[in-house]
Amino acid sequence: MSSDTVTKTEPNYFEVSRGLKSWLFTLDHKRIGLMYLFGILGALLLGGAFALLVRIELFTPGETIVGKDWYNKFFTLHGAVMVFLVIIPGIPAALGNMILPIQLGAPDVAFPRLNLASFYLWCAGATLLLVAVALGGIDTGWTFYTPYSLETKTAVIPAVCGAFVLGFSSIFTGLNFLVTIHKFRPQQMGWFQMPLNLWALYATAIMQVLATPVLGITLLLLFLERFMHIGIFDPNMGGDPVLFQHFFWFYSHPAVYIMILPAMGVVSELITTFSRKPLFGYRFVAYSSLSLALLSFLVWGHHMFVSGQSKLANMVFSALTFSVAIPSAIKVFNWTSTLYKGDIRLQTPMLYALSFLVMFTIGGLTGIFLAVLSIDVQLHDTYFVVAHFHYVMMGSTLIAFMGALHYWWPKMSGRMYPEKLGQLVAVGVFIGFNLTFLPQFVMGSRGMPRRYWDYDPEYTIFHQLSTIGAFVLGLSLFTVVCYLMWSFKYGKKAPKNPWGGTTLEWEAPTPPTLYNFPEPPELPEIYNYDDLVEDEVNGGFVRKPSTTPKDAGHGGH
Amino acid sequence: MSAAQPTTTPASDGHGEAHAHGFAHTATVKVLTRTFIALMILTLLTVGATRIDLGGNYNLALAMAIAVVKATLVVLFFMHLRYDRLFHSVIIVGGLLFAALFIGFALMDSGQYQDTVLWDIRNPPPAPIGPPPIR
Amino acid sequence: MSDDHPHDHDGHGDSHGHHGSPFIQHHYDDAQHQFDSGKLGMWFFLAQEILFFSGLFVAYVLYRHHHPEIFSYAHHYLDVKWGAINTVVLIMSSLSAAWAVRCAQLNQRKGLIGCLVFTIVCAFGFLGIKGIEYKHKIDEDILWGRNFDPCIASAGNHLLNKKNQCPGVKSSVVWSASSKKADRGCMEGDYDLDAHQEGVQGKCEVHELTMGGVGKNRQEISRRPIPPCEELAIHADGHAPAVEGAEGKSGHGGAHDAKKPCWELVENYHVCPSGPAALVLYGDHEVRTGVEIEAKCEAAPPPVALVDAFADPDQPIVEGQITFRKSERLTKHEAQHKFASGPPPEHTGMFFSIYFAMTGLHGIHVIVGIFIFIWLLIRAIKGHFTPEYFGPIDYAALYWHLVDLIWIFLFPLLYLIH
Repeated sequence: MSSDTVTKTEPNYFEVSRGLKSWLFTLDHKRIGLMYLFGILGALLLGGAFALLVRIELFTPGETIVGKDWYNKFFTLHGAVMVFLVIIPGIPAALGNMILPIQLGAPDVAFPRLNLASFYLWCAGATLLLVAVALGGIDTGWTFYTPYSLETKTAVIPAVCGAFVLGFSSIFTGLNFLVTIHKFRPQQMGWFQMPLNLWALYATAIMQVLATPVLGITLLLLFLERFMHIGIFDPNMGGDPVLFQHFFWFYSHPAVYIMILPAMGVVSELITTFSRKPLFGYRFVAYSSLSLALLSFLVWGHHMFVSGQSKLANMVFSALTFSVAIPSAIKVFNWTSTLYKGDIRLQTPMLYALSFLVMFTIGGLTGIFLAVLSIDVQLHDTYFVVAHFHYVMMGSTLIAFMGALHYWWPKMSGRMYPEKLGQLVAVGVFIGFNLTFLPQFVMGSRGMPRRYWDYDPEYTIFHQLSTIGAFVLGLSLFTVVCYLMWSFKYGKKAPKNPWGGTTLEWEAPTPPTLYNFPEPPELPEIYNYDDLVEDEVNGGFVRKPSTTPKDAGHGGH
Repeated sequence: MSAAQPTTTPASDGHGEAHAHGFAHTATVKVLTRTFIALMILTLLTVGATRIDLGGNYNLALAMAIAVVKATLVVLFFMHLRYDRLFHSVIIVGGLLFAALFIGFALMDSGQYQDTVLWDIRNPPPAPIGPPPIR
Repeated sequence: MSDDHPHDHDGHGDSHGHHGSPFIQHHYDDAQHQFDSGKLGMWFFLAQEILFFSGLFVAYVLYRHHHPEIFSYAHHYLDVKWGAINTVVLIMSSLSAAWAVRCAQLNQRKGLIGCLVFTIVCAFGFLGIKGIEYKHKIDEDILWGRNFDPCIASAGNHLLNKKNQCPGVKSSVVWSASSKKADRGCMEGDYDLDAHQEGVQGKCEVHELTMGGVGKNRQEISRRPIPPCEELAIHADGHAPAVEGAEGKSGHGGAHDAKKPCWELVENYHVCPSGPAALVLYGDHEVRTGVEIEAKCEAAPPPVALVDAFADPDQPIVEGQITFRKSERLTKHEAQHKFASGPPPEHTGMFFSIYFAMTGLHGIHVIVGIFIFIWLLIRAIKGHFTPEYFGPIDYAALYWHLVDLIWIFLFPLLYLIH
């Protein structure tokens, strides 16, 4: 601690050093998080562009703008870009990197150089996927099922290499978070004094470290198959294509929980802050995060019910899949109970959080329908599945990402985004999303298969509604990106604690200094809103000066 | 300007003197050499065991058992897990459990659907599951 | 909790002065904090590596369980001696890595450097032996998938037909007069004709043989068909058929040359789809080097009883098993391996796909380990490591022990199959 009472403030993390090199070689988790954010938003726009191409093509039966081969490439690239570049890194890489150390009161993550390496691995993976796009794309579906992925002439190898590299980016990020949470918590912040966002990131990191290597070996074997024809998955050489699916889904099912769990952590924060009420059932939510991480490894076969998997495995996986719904349901109950009798503020982050509640419930429940073996046999590979996973991946994860982005935007950038526009666009996102995907449930249950370029005319109206919704959604998301970029320069200066949050990041300067806290902050009691009052002058919230000094453990320990 | 942490208990550090034991347990020469000798003996054992014919599966079980013992020695003594935090053991055991889960489920499932697999085109699986031979 | 680190906060300005190691990073409280964090991170990384290899173990377990015959057959191609030496080498390097950590902890710089050097030398030794093994396999075409095409059966006999493929495929053989054996493809004069193959569906018969290639004088020999010997009315050994009552010793009875090449199937030898090609003999005893002989097989309709699997499900039809006509009883060992003297069972290349994938991935990890240890050696020579800062040695040693651990399992699984 410096002895002189500072009249000049320490520079924030933007100002502390300038120039391109200071960003490209930074070890500051906040700068890395911001670079990730730009990359991820760029990838979101790319994946979104592919999505709109898919939806335009499906506006009418038969050929609308392109033929079937190009259509296959569009939906594959949409899936691959969105899954590997946007949603899986999404919240942990862009926002977790930014916020996790600050929420812990730490100066940085445990391994800052590894963090930078993770970012560069993400860039390398993104480059390889772009190379695959430039070489004509891939048409195997983002799932790369054999034997087609072994035979197709499209650029599977660069895509597989890209996904492999992205896997390691994910692993190292998870590893970093695990060690940071174990080793950089202050003495007073025991496991059950951590914000729930950190519980979620911890559980996510466990899955990242344990599941992603299996993706690595899967892609490596696929690469060897294509390149050297080793034959492990090729039936012509005695290989087993169902084995490929076992390999693939052993990772990809935990992957979807890697996507959703950070989103759930964020929503926990948003709901409690914007209800001005402690989260109902803290321990239940914490334990459910961990159990979700563990249970997610037991259910991968539910993606393979009609793949040739045995009847016994089908039954076992179906039964286990019901169990994995329980922790999610527990969370939804806890969030809803938090809202009850809360002082609800409908600012933009909260609108996204409420959208999440609605859409995650729909997505989760439709997942239960798909878990039922007999129903899944009918619904597998139809639009019902497409709608289900878009509800959970996009309607929940991406919406929570948007909510988190708006929530922490003031802290990250020092600026406020335009609130009214934000609220309007949040509603637009909700409407656009539901318009896009609700019709897909209907047509899926009526038999419209997925990944089909052509369809019977009876489905036309659903496809057209879906396409219109997609454009509304796309426009809204694009607007979000635009006004966030705008606010960097022209947004109102943000107060330290605009939302009245109780977690430690709101005690840091806005934007934070290089090592986050120029002076060691007092540890607030999380989710206790009694001390915070609105600041009429500057906006935001400030702490009431308390009569008993809350001294965080000097000497008493 | 120094970066500081949220306030906690003040340091009580003996780090002024370089204490090796403060960081981690130092392996003794005795432990290292004895582990090495044990590993060598077990290697000889495992090669020699192939000469005894116990019937396919028992040979495999014996070889695996010896391998597990060797692995345990390496993990406990060379990797210091015997003297280390319990959590590190949890991490490794956890990783092994998930790997076992993967192997177990895949084996169970593939065993069940083997009679749908056309391994040898001239020797198809018996009816009614297998396809008729292609002439 | 035991895994939490209670932070010391005495300000960083002081700690640098006290501790002296310039490698303690700024965001850590002290050297202990950095060491513990790094160790925890390394253990998570090792758990991740276990899961990374687990996929290959899944493939191994599955294929071995469902198709043990290819493992029984193929593992003979692996030399236990080299595998055992590699195991010993890796264990020694594990010892030296662990010892290096000890030396670093006790500030024994020379010992540290020596141990690191020894580890690197052992690692190179491992790779060298792997290189020897791989080279042998590449030379003998004992490779993965369809590239598995050896001349030698795993018990050591020569195979007649290199291509273990479906019927109708030509088998190409290049005959070398100097070495009196096939340079490409495998054709040996001393094939045991008594070993018949039974129970196989479908049979091939040679109906055409052509000869071509590059002759002894390096001139192009255009491909031309070789007529069957009976067409030329001579026996394959160059002698004309015995006229009634007379001993035929020279070729009278035709305007053709006894030296002209012709082919004849010996003892009505039939070709099996995955077995040896036709055994051909040439009337022309001067066999030219570099001549390529192609035999075209035609699949003949097999006997009904064998082909209809639906007809008699109780009759076991096992592909590739050779029934010996010898009268003496086989020992149990021989019975288990009687397989191994004949052609490989279907998809034996799968074993080698798994073998190369597992040992290859392991080898890549060894190579990475070498780079890491060389980097550490350089740093150790520069004196970076002190009893207060030896984390990198410890973490690299942990990684190396994992590499050793994986080999400890790979060795019995691949080399010591029974």
